Amino acid sequence: MELDDLKNSWHQATGRVEKPQIITRAMLEKINRTKYRLRIKKIITAEISGSSVCLVAALYIGYSFNKLDTAFLQVTGVVAILLLLLLPTISFVSIRQLSKAGNFNKSYAETLKAFAVDKKRFIRLQKLNITFSYVLLLTMIVLLVKLFGGNDLSENKHFWLFSFPISYIFLLFYAKWVQKYYQQALQQAEELLAELNT
Amino acid sequence: MDKAETFIAALQANQGSIYKIASLYTHEAEDRDDLVQEIIYQLWKSFDSFNQQSKLSTWIYRVAMNVAIYHLKVTKRKVPIVPIDEQLSNLPDVDNSQDEEQWKLLKTFVDKLNLLDKGLVILYLEEKTYEEMAEIIGISVSNVATKLSRIKEKLKQQISKQA
Repeated sequence: MELDDLKNSWHQATGRVEKPQIITRAMLEKINRTKYRLRIKKIITAEISGSSVCLVAALYIGYSFNKLDTAFLQVTGVVAILLLLLLPTISFVSIRQLSKAGNFNKSYAETLKAFAVDKKRFIRLQKLNITFSYVLLLTMIVLLVKLFGGNDLSENKHFWLFSFPISYIFLLFYAKWVQKYYQQALQQAEELLAELNT
Repeated sequence: MDKAETFIAALQANQGSIYKIASLYTHEAEDRDDLVQEIIYQLWKSFDSFNQQSKLSTWIYRVAMNVAIYHLKVTKRKVPIVPIDEQLSNLPDVDNSQDEEQWKLLKTFVDKLNLLDKGLVILYLEEKTYEEMAEIIGISVSNVATKLSRIKEKLKQQISKQA
């Protein structure tokens, strides 16, 4: 089988879609209206709703800060508030970069270069986001136990005995999973960039 | 003929190519239809910037393939789309089983290529000249020839592995 043999199936597919004249003025107007509306909706729903949850949680911890009565809990509280503000910011920045449409009149190779660079940056930000999310999870466990149960985990000897070894093992597997998940995408982006630069 | 009429006539002349490009950059019918609409939307938005230095069909290919790349970036953020003609939604479900098999083979092969090679194969299958391919992709004519011969070799190896 040669590449030229695949032309047959390509041209047969053309025959199937060129019969009906489906693109009309009314449809064009409808697509334009819908795309404009959805573009705004996409930004509002995805970026605002996620950020709101983090902001509410940060405000709640700030409001209940006087309940955090030890230095350990206060540091944990500050770290959690900072992460709750930082995580949506990273997410907002990475999605914004990814959603930038750019100029479609450019050549395909130029678009691909921009795509590969954006993808590498996005993966780097996602890795950072995942690591911060993991730290946030740990701080939230400590804070929730205190704020809703009234217990200070740092006073529990089992917490110090088990938290570090368990966290370390978890982090080890977690880091491997993150690496595996993004490695292929990162490699593809780098290969594409290398090919475009030759 | 006003601007919209000129645009619609150009789209109708190239709609088969737009649908096939969308099919090769997506895996699900819904996603493909979304991409087709995005291409039409972006073509309409950029129609004023078409400077007539290149052929209209060359410009349509360039924009359509660039939009397909953009779509790959945002594809996980799915949104509802305008319903389109049912006949078009059935593009890969060809009635002849041999044709269907051929189409699947084509899609499997193209899916394994990187995005640069995928773009070249689409233009090759559309029987564009090397000069047109070089203009759309933005590489030299000799580079087009080298890359295409490498892709052909890759296909041969792939087929021999399957056999």
